Amino acid sequence: MTLSRNVRNALFTGLGYFIALELMLIAAILFWPSFEENTAALKVLASPLPVLREMFTELEQKGVSAYVLSQHFFKGCNVLGCAAAALIAANAIAAEAQRGTLEIFLLRPLSRRRLLLERWLTGAIQVSVPVLLTTLTIPLFLSQVDESLALGPLMLCAVHQCLFLLSLFSVTFLFSTMGRAPLHLAFAVLVFIIFNFSIYMVKTVTHMSVFRLADMETFLEIYEKGALPLGVTAGILVLIGGCLWGSLSVFERRVP
Amino acid sequence: MPPTLKPNPSTKPPGITARGLRRTFGSICAVAGVDLDIEPGTVTGILGPNGSGKSTTLRMLNGLVRPDSGTASVAGVQLVGDGTAVRRVATFAPGEIALYGEMFGDEHLAWLLRGRPKAAFTKAQAIAEQLGLPPKKKVHAYSHGMKRQLLFAAAMGPDVPVRILDEPTEGLDPAKRQEVLEMIGGEARAGGLVLLSSHHLSEVQAVCQRMVFFHGGSVIADESPNDLNRRARRSATMVYESPGQASGVAAALQQQLGPDSKAVIASVTQDKNNVLVQIATDDPRPFLAELAAQSGPAPLSLELGKLSLVDLYRTVYGVTGL
Repeated sequence: MTLSRNVRNALFTGLGYFIALELMLIAAILFWPSFEENTAALKVLASPLPVLREMFTELEQKGVSAYVLSQHFFKGCNVLGCAAAALIAANAIAAEAQRGTLEIFLLRPLSRRRLLLERWLTGAIQVSVPVLLTTLTIPLFLSQVDESLALGPLMLCAVHQCLFLLSLFSVTFLFSTMGRAPLHLAFAVLVFIIFNFSIYMVKTVTHMSVFRLADMETFLEIYEKGALPLGVTAGILVLIGGCLWGSLSVFERRVP
Repeated sequence: MPPTLKPNPSTKPPGITARGLRRTFGSICAVAGVDLDIEPGTVTGILGPNGSGKSTTLRMLNGLVRPDSGTASVAGVQLVGDGTAVRRVATFAPGEIALYGEMFGDEHLAWLLRGRPKAAFTKAQAIAEQLGLPPKKKVHAYSHGMKRQLLFAAAMGPDVPVRILDEPTEGLDPAKRQEVLEMIGGEARAGGLVLLSSHHLSEVQAVCQRMVFFHGGSVIADESPNDLNRRARRSATMVYESPGQASGVAAALQQQLGPDSKAVIASVTQDKNNVLVQIATDDPRPFLAELAAQSGPAPLSLELGKLSLVDLYRTVYGVTGL
């Protein structure tokens, strides 16, 4: 009964996030013919921002693949996904501490490791599955505008996107394990996200933005090569693993 | 991590043993080296003022707070790691009441009993029903006392040898309080061990076979209710109306009693308008005769054979500032 309530709550959150992503994806794909016609004009509009101008140049050269990858992953998943990851992770443990329920959460005969991994996995599934599911529907909607993309490389892009979101999720989760103010934590992470989006658009500091790891260029490379960037993937996996290990260590000793 | 079950080598069924339990929070020493030996088949009360280390000790015995040093075993299970193995053989009803208001009563009970056999839920449901808790009402609509009873039902449901209850009767009406105390007594008669904390000396005296007194993170006394009753029978509490003249009242009373009196002034305390004098005597009857025979200040009230928790701490254990 209890597990089903938790699963139900996670499903509702995940479903909302999935629907929002899917609607953004459908709108973007249906807009593709009009975008294609006006790419040159849009490039002129984007010219004051060198980073944006380069994106449009790439879009012009690569066509629908660059468009879909940037719309779905760089724009949709990065914006909604990062927000979802921050909010879900910030609430994971800190919300229990804030409402005072951490003591009853811990007093059952279940190990802290198990309780924490359950929370982490539930959140990770909520953050990742909608990205994977929406990506699966891309070929279907592209066929409506007489375009096509290979599903295999698209799914690799989705996997990379999930890893990127999970790294943000894991860092936030670690802080949630230590803290008792989920709103402050979520706000701080959202500020971090916005700041990184902002510097991404500034030519001189764009290389310092974390979104360089999940931008159109990265996804185009994955799509074209049909392989994940090993160095980046390994780095992200190490970060996720390190944060999870840190969370477990902190949670083992946490006072309710 | 699998539970580490280390059976106690003693032939007696194991109860609770703690040696040198210590815990600090920053610069505050909450528990400063507590030793406990509690036998099964008993109800043991832990008493003490706020901040005396009762709750932290109970939480440590349940694995919710890790001790900085010291060892403990509960029902023969060593307290190691995060205490999961201990929580399999002991239940805990916390003193802090924070529940998930969005859950229904029976749903919350099931949530609290996750990881226990199904029979635990059935028994807890029966206890909740006996206490009159509405199972299909959301917990946010429960009163403070009802929430306390829900935690109590969850702690009494599982078939475990040890139950640790932190202020289980706080916020309950007298009838419910009695019902809960009877259940606790029944648990000990059936061979279980109940360790409970309370601020109410009378209810602890009524149900406990032993009373452990805490102050400043340490155990300052360990007595049976009979010991305490004997102490109470040897005490008299008098209240004098005399603002700001505690020393004067004490001197006058000493004169009244005379040098040969066996009664001793144990303590004199001053509150806003009154002076409270605690007398210790083996037999209060000669003391009363001395008091009546001599002239001197007359007390506003005189109470024999009763000790409150505060009186006990002040007069018997010499604790000030309560």
